Amino acid sequence: MTAVGEGNLRIAATFLAAFGIGVATYIAIADSGGGAPVCLAGGGGCETVAESSYSELLGVNVAIFGIAGYALLLGTALLRGDAPRMAGFCLALTGFGFSVYLTYLELFVIDAICQWCVASAILMTLLFAVNAVRMVRYVGAAP
Amino acid sequence: MSAKKDREARREERLQREAEAEEGSRRRRLLQFGSAAVFLAIVVVAVLIVVSQSGSDGGGDTNVEDAALVNDELQGVPQQGMTLGDEGALVTLVEFGDLQCPVCKGYAEEILPDVIESSVRSGEAKLAFRNFTIIDEDSTPAGAAAIAAGEQGRGWNFVELFYRNQGIERTGYVDDDFLSSIAEAAGVPNIARWNRERRSQRILRQVAESTEEAERLGFTGTPSFAVEGPATDGLETLSVSSAEELEAAIEGAG
Repeated sequence: MTAVGEGNLRIAATFLAAFGIGVATYIAIADSGGGAPVCLAGGGGCETVAESSYSELLGVNVAIFGIAGYALLLGTALLRGDAPRMAGFCLALTGFGFSVYLTYLELFVIDAICQWCVASAILMTLLFAVNAVRMVRYVGAAP
Repeated sequence: MSAKKDREARREERLQREAEAEEGSRRRRLLQFGSAAVFLAIVVVAVLIVVSQSGSDGGGDTNVEDAALVNDELQGVPQQGMTLGDEGALVTLVEFGDLQCPVCKGYAEEILPDVIESSVRSGEAKLAFRNFTIIDEDSTPAGAAAIAAGEQGRGWNFVELFYRNQGIERTGYVDDDFLSSIAEAAGVPNIARWNRERRSQRILRQVAESTEEAERLGFTGTPSFAVEGPATDGLETLSVSSAEELEAAIEGAG
């Protein structure tokens, strides 16, 4: 079995983080001014989630935190060396943990599913997996 | 020749040992870093969750006063619909109130906190709020908004916060903005659902039905109280004006 090269992991993380920035930016723009993202499958879940009191953290839209997180992850994917490997893992683990909490809120508290939030949660989960493999396999190796 | 081979074999062995030692040390460092990263991530996520929860537990809306006070007062007391307290409590104290009524506000601030603390929190009695809309037409959407908040476990937070932020009656202050700010500060988790339900016929009918019930019981003003328990014959009306009298009525009904 051939091990995945670090270059491929970094390319995957770059694409995932770029997609994540796109999704979070769309949610943030759609949410601004009292609007909501359009759920492609219909059903109004996106509107319900956007209007929920959980859509903001300290008065700031949660999607803005998402943009910041994905941007930092993009930075760690583009850089070489141990520091970006470890920082990428820490950021992705935090993002993954927060995504689990937000998905729990959608399923059991808000009672509505926003497919854009689900897309972001999936991207963050994949980023966590990619960054975990990158850290375990390559920390201590040549940059 | 054989000495040279031996040297090479020893050298290779040494290199292998060094490589293994290095790999072992890398694994140890990785394990240490991984544990620290997991700990750090747990702390960060926990902080984010606490901030997120506190934002939805009220106090998020700066126009609404006393959200923290109300949340403290009701903290740890179970709620089902518009009933506060242990579902299994044998005695039920019913308040028939109008959210626009200033006397009800006085009761909410001065008298009911003592009753909640002494009789409801202990599980001796549960406290039910029922709308008795007597002020004007705005009392109906206000009462429906409270019931819709109760559908999401925040009915009493809504009622208490409404009373504490009450405006002058019949001035039209009970508009969508006011009701939404109370609901948000009360920590209603799904505002879109609350908005749909507070306008639904099902909930508006409940407001009308409890008003009819209050009239049937012979009440003419708010707040009016009634009690039901093992020692009463159904719902019995009360004439009380203090926490002590309400507590005595609860005791008598139990």
